[in-house]
Amino acid sequence: MSGLMKLAVQNLFRHRTRSLLTMLGIGAAVAVLFSVLSFNRGFEAGLERELKGTGLHFMVVPSGCAHEVAALVLHGAVIPKFLEAGVIDDVNRAEGVSLATPILVAQMPNPQGGRIDLIYGVETAMLPDIKPDWEITGAYPAAANELLLGYNVALHNGITPGDGIRYPGVEGVFTVTGIVAQTGSQDDAFIYMDIREAQAILQHPGGATAVGVKLTDPVRMQEVIEGLESRVPGIQIVTMGQVMNSVSTVAASARSLSLAVALVALIIGTVGVMNAILMAVFERTQEIGMMRAIGASRWDIFRIILKETALLTMVGGIAGILIAAAGSTLIEGFVRRVMPYMPTGEMLRFEPLLAMGCVLFAMTIGLLAGFYPAWKASRINPIEAIKG
Amino acid sequence: MIRLQKVEKIYRRGAETVRALRGVDLEIHSGEFAAVTGPSGAGKTTLLHIVGCLDTPGRGEVLFDGVSVDGWTDKKLTRLRREKIGFVFQQFYLIPGLSVADNIALPLLFRKQKPDKDRIATLARMVGLENRTRHVPAALSGGEMQRTAIARALVNRPEIILADEPTGNLDSKNSEKIFDILKGLNRSGLTVLMITHNANLAARADRIIRIKDGMVEA
Ligand SMILES: Nc1ncnc2c1ncn2[C@@H]1O[C@H](COP(=O)(O)OP(=O)(O)O)[C@@H](O)[C@H]1O
Ligand SMILES: [Mg+2]
Repeated sequence: MSGLMKLAVQNLFRHRTRSLLTMLGIGAAVAVLFSVLSFNRGFEAGLERELKGTGLHFMVVPSGCAHEVAALVLHGAVIPKFLEAGVIDDVNRAEGVSLATPILVAQMPNPQGGRIDLIYGVETAMLPDIKPDWEITGAYPAAANELLLGYNVALHNGITPGDGIRYPGVEGVFTVTGIVAQTGSQDDAFIYMDIREAQAILQHPGGATAVGVKLTDPVRMQEVIEGLESRVPGIQIVTMGQVMNSVSTVAASARSLSLAVALVALIIGTVGVMNAILMAVFERTQEIGMMRAIGASRWDIFRIILKETALLTMVGGIAGILIAAAGSTLIEGFVRRVMPYMPTGEMLRFEPLLAMGCVLFAMTIGLLAGFYPAWKASRINPIEAIKG
Repeated sequence: MIRLQKVEKIYRRGAETVRALRGVDLEIHSGEFAAVTGPSGAGKTTLLHIVGCLDTPGRGEVLFDGVSVDGWTDKKLTRLRREKIGFVFQQFYLIPGLSVADNIALPLLFRKQKPDKDRIATLARMVGLENRTRHVPAALSGGEMQRTAIARALVNRPEIILADEPTGNLDSKNSEKIFDILKGLNRSGLTVLMITHNANLAARADRIIRIKDGMVEA
């Protein structure tokens, strides 16, 4: 350890509690900053991954439900309106459409289990295409009376492949053939059912909350959309790009808010640093005077104090990164609960470069906060300080 | 070696002005051991600070090796102190978190020099602290602290040691020890200027400079 470093370290050790608290302040701020930034990256990457993963180009939904659509496309929120029965056929017949798959999302009472199930009615054979990232324990449903369960549904009700589920008004038993591995998204909460069965149970033959569309040639998307909207009444078409935008807008406001919180935390932490260093300087007036007497230049004193500040903020910053890394599952769980939409997959992945950036940023601000105390220290008059 | 010519120093304390030094003419000769005595508030510390280029006179001139330091920048004066002057204070002013060895090496930091282990060890031995180099100041006796401070003052190989009541906080036995060390250093060629209230010690110096009311008594 170099001499100046030793000096700085021992000074910080002189007031352990104060140094620790100051570091904690900086650490908390850096932890928040790092979490927000890495979450942001994870979120955008996840969103893109997921949109690519749907394999669909746009969604046809009942008009007037624009906001729910984003959630529906990705996770199947419950939309209280149904598409007219003929819409699916109209869409299917339209030129340029290679595939149109109806999706029916509804709540269904389950007296046997004493709960309300969220049903996601879909052409079950299409699931691997719509949700390419899924991993399944067991098998995809092959028959109409077979079900696939989201992770949480299975977990909370202790259901395993092979179990049966009954719904009122339906003869026979549905057999669970498979469980979807945890996605961390809304997908975990659904029961996936053949759409015809769902329509029958809901007494809505041919009904759907949305139709997912895949085009033969995506370049002609605009053309196809305009054709559909003019010919089929009561529908609205939402492209994946629009979904992306609306989700991003919500995410962006949440992000700027949390970023603001992080910055305020950092400012408070920085004021803490300034205060701690200033106190340390005043307490050591005599010692600094002595150093000036025995040959330390003003610049030497300035550097010693600045080094101390750098050390304080660096250790605090690194601690913050460690806190954030250690608490990432906790933070992620919390954000998942408060955010209206979250892509599947882990959002808070540790990125060393980003971590370094955050620490450097905190150090830069910390150093700025150290300038004033350091300058104060460098102006200490040795004869005032060491009156003999 | 150091000459003060008609040095005056006035301090302002609110409305009151204190004439700490009133026209001091003094020559410190190379190789001598001079004791400065006088009542409290007489201006001894002020004189020492001016001799040590820590303070500047309001009027008059300070010549170091024949060169006037009048108008020198803080940077230049700092360098002069670092290279030619060793300070020893009554309150020792050791850095509590650093070991004896690191305290001794402190002035080297300001020369951007790596501490020379052998030199530190030699200095520690010279002041009788060879077995305590790894201790922190809190583990030392007052006498040992002052001996650490003397070793620190010597590390840059100064030409003169300026000591402001170095034995003021010590008992007679430890005072003797400190005095003996300074005397020994003087014998090996170092100039020593020491403020003391101890008439016994002063009497054993080559010369006694008596200060009263900011003036040198004949
Ligand atoms: N920084 C200062 N500001 C105002 N007055 C001072 C200052 N330093 C010393 N004095 C005054 O100058 C006089 C001489 O002080 P000093 O040199 O410390 O005396 P001594 O060391 O002989 O006790 C005293 O009256 C003291 O109060
Ligand atoms: Mg004095």
